[in-house]
Amino acid sequence: MRFVACALGAGLVLLALPGSAVAQPPIAIEAETLYTSGPQGTLSNGVVLVRDGRISLVGPAAEVEIPDDALVYRAKVVTPGLIDAQSTVGLSGLYNVPADQDHDEKSGPLQAGLRVIDGFNPEEPLLRWLLAHGVTAVQVSPGEANPVAGQAGVFKTWAPPGSGVSEFELRFPSALVFNLGETPKSTYAEARRAPTTRMGTAALIRGALTEAGEYMGKRSAASRAGSKRGGEGAQPPERSLANDAFALVLTREIPALFVARREDDLETALRLGEEFGLELQLADATEGYLLADRIARAGVPVLAGPVMERVGRLETMNASFENAAILAAAGVPVLFRSGFESYVPKVRVVLFEAAIAAANGFGFDEALDALTSRAARVLGVGDRIGSLEPGKDADLVLFDGDPFEYRSRVEHVLVGGELAYSHERPRTR
Amino acid sequence: MSRPLVAILAAAAIVGFGPALQPAPARADEAVAFVGATVYPVSSDPIPDGAVLIRDGRILAVGPRDQVELPEDVRVHELGGRVIIPGLVDTHSHIALSGRPLVAANRGTTEATDPVTPEMRAIDGIWPGDPAIRMAVAGGVTTANIMPGSGNVVSGQTAYLKLRGSSVDEMLIKGAGGRPLPGGMKMANGENPKRSYGSRKKAPMTRMAIAELERQLFVDALEYRAKQERYLDQIARGDETSRPAVDLGLAPMLEVLEGRRIVHHHTHRADDIRTVLRIQQEFGHRVVIQHGTEAYKLADELARRGVPVSAIVLDAPGGKHEAIELDYRGPAILERAGVSVALHTDDYITDSRLFLRSGGLAIRGGMSEAGALRALTLTGAEMLDLADRLGSLEPGKDADLVVLSGEPFAVRTHVLETWIDGEKQFDRSDPEARLYQTGGFQVSDRYPRGVVP
Repeated sequence: MRFVACALGAGLVLLALPGSAVAQPPIAIEAETLYTSGPQGTLSNGVVLVRDGRISLVGPAAEVEIPDDALVYRAKVVTPGLIDAQSTVGLSGLYNVPADQDHDEKSGPLQAGLRVIDGFNPEEPLLRWLLAHGVTAVQVSPGEANPVAGQAGVFKTWAPPGSGVSEFELRFPSALVFNLGETPKSTYAEARRAPTTRMGTAALIRGALTEAGEYMGKRSAASRAGSKRGGEGAQPPERSLANDAFALVLTREIPALFVARREDDLETALRLGEEFGLELQLADATEGYLLADRIARAGVPVLAGPVMERVGRLETMNASFENAAILAAAGVPVLFRSGFESYVPKVRVVLFEAAIAAANGFGFDEALDALTSRAARVLGVGDRIGSLEPGKDADLVLFDGDPFEYRSRVEHVLVGGELAYSHERPRTR
Repeated sequence: MSRPLVAILAAAAIVGFGPALQPAPARADEAVAFVGATVYPVSSDPIPDGAVLIRDGRILAVGPRDQVELPEDVRVHELGGRVIIPGLVDTHSHIALSGRPLVAANRGTTEATDPVTPEMRAIDGIWPGDPAIRMAVAGGVTTANIMPGSGNVVSGQTAYLKLRGSSVDEMLIKGAGGRPLPGGMKMANGENPKRSYGSRKKAPMTRMAIAELERQLFVDALEYRAKQERYLDQIARGDETSRPAVDLGLAPMLEVLEGRRIVHHHTHRADDIRTVLRIQQEFGHRVVIQHGTEAYKLADELARRGVPVSAIVLDAPGGKHEAIELDYRGPAILERAGVSVALHTDDYITDSRLFLRSGGLAIRGGMSEAGALRALTLTGAEMLDLADRLGSLEPGKDADLVVLSGEPFAVRTHVLETWIDGEKQFDRSDPEARLYQTGGFQVSDRYPRGVVP
């Protein structure tokens, strides 16, 4: 028997159309298998009740009373909305022409002052492509060209029509992004401008963090002096937006997210993290499996992948499908990111990334955790999304089978309790 | 250093990267029976508890286990619970022409100095030591059409290769008398040639110019043929004459006109596909639509005209304009319309190790499972004119087969063994070989083995 979501009553179907601003009736989602990624674990024949865009109740079908006026969806498998831990989607557009590429500010290598919120395009068609694969939230990040790329933020992939960036936003800033390895040193090579070596990249980052430390020192000295002597004494430094951003990572208010692939680049990230007392996160970590124990000891999460990253560039020659599994076995918390794609395809889908990892030793449960509750926790949005629990946003994905099987289909995606995507009315462009 | 020693070291360096590391093949003259597996012959229905018998590089018998008679000296390969499919046929790949790592030193897909280069031969750029070949074999690919790139309107002669052997001569698929079969002819329209030359303010800068260049080549080939025919007539009549000069670019185009060399045409947008069809109608050559991102928009026309499509399946659309209308339902729509549909990797655009996954995603888009498996095997062989030898498990065909751990399109299924011409070329249980499937072969001495069973 093939289950399709069904709306009880024609009038309710109209209310469920994407973008309806009319007050919503309660929604009930019945799942043969309900993966809550939360305290209730996995329920067979589970039900999720949704009111006003939030989850109001989760439980076994036998114990949950579905209100008479509820709009009911049924699916074989239901999971929380999936989370892409880092992507340039929303900044780096589908068409791949200068007009829609806003991920890399290549005017200089140190761009701590950049805020993705100023470039995120909620109308980006690739967001709808990800949505159609169950991805409901993405940590949107500047690209890979600069040693210091800018401030990332966590956004939903869908909001009702008419919404602006702020309705998509879950958290900003969520991290300051750093890049090591091949890309930063090649970006400025032609201009004969630093960095042209890995040493140069590290030196620029170290220099910037040191300067920001001085800035913070002067700022707090001025503020101490100011409070003691009624505003006289030490002068505060000239305000620098870049240094303000660095201050956020130096005070560990937000993590320092280092994109690094080769083993020695990963070591550089760990070294800089230790040197400046940063709350470190590693992204991609292609060769992470070669130093899994060290990463685990440092207590650093890895935003892995893409595992389908092409074995091709020198720094990706050693990419392994087993990277996530080996890191996890060493105790490293693993998430998945789609990262940046410069050509075809223009974005990766973390659902597929996790599937490959799951099939190569990572396992189903780990893979689902990595895309849901763990991702939400590590990205600092665990209070809103990542699991099916009362009070959380009603972001759910309805599958017609095993979420990680290629042949399975996403039938419906709910974001904030609204039907954001339907297999019956696909709109991915 | 003495000369012989240098030679030996050089040889070791070359061999060290490639075939010498491969597991010792079974003797080709030994009969091997694969028994107990679910066998997907592709040309007929799946056989539970089946058997495949091979010897001398050929398939001798395929059938239910209890109906295949085994010779006395047979080596029995017990495969209960496993699955056997034909070796995968990749109709569009660039491995070995652009070797890994993809640094400038290894890149060599397109001779981008002239938009029309039919004289280029893929065989002159094939690097048998490219690790990508072993990766592809670890993904179950046994035959590939290695193509020059799409930066030129006509980029050259493609090579139909078996992915085994240490020289391109060994790899080339041979016909009668051991002579290599002609490959295809690679052509391209749309964005890539425009971008490649437009950026240098050279033709083609427009789609119109691409079509003109392509058409002119066919006209030149017709003239060349007429000249040759005239010459032969004159000789037959005993007239005094001189032989027309050999044209290395037009000579293979004569094979195209005769239908012995198939045009593999990179094309994405519906209007570009229609341009390919228009030119095909003018000159009557055989053509395969390669990529065909928007082919689903003219499925009925393609079916009516009997033009096959080798489609690419990608994770997402975009990256270039002509790929924004990508739809997972494309192969399914073509299949339902009656178009012959194969799939390909376009490796390095998608990874040969994940070729089966392309079939899985086509099924996600509505293609039948049988159609998807055929698209990875027999239909692809048809598009290379090799269906009499490859693409299905039938007596008399080449012993190219893949042993899978489970059903072909399950995400958890791994390729366990790949056999080409009756010899085992990949074995996942060999720890060295396995790293070509998972990745990590360059750091083999340090790879954390045993973490993943």
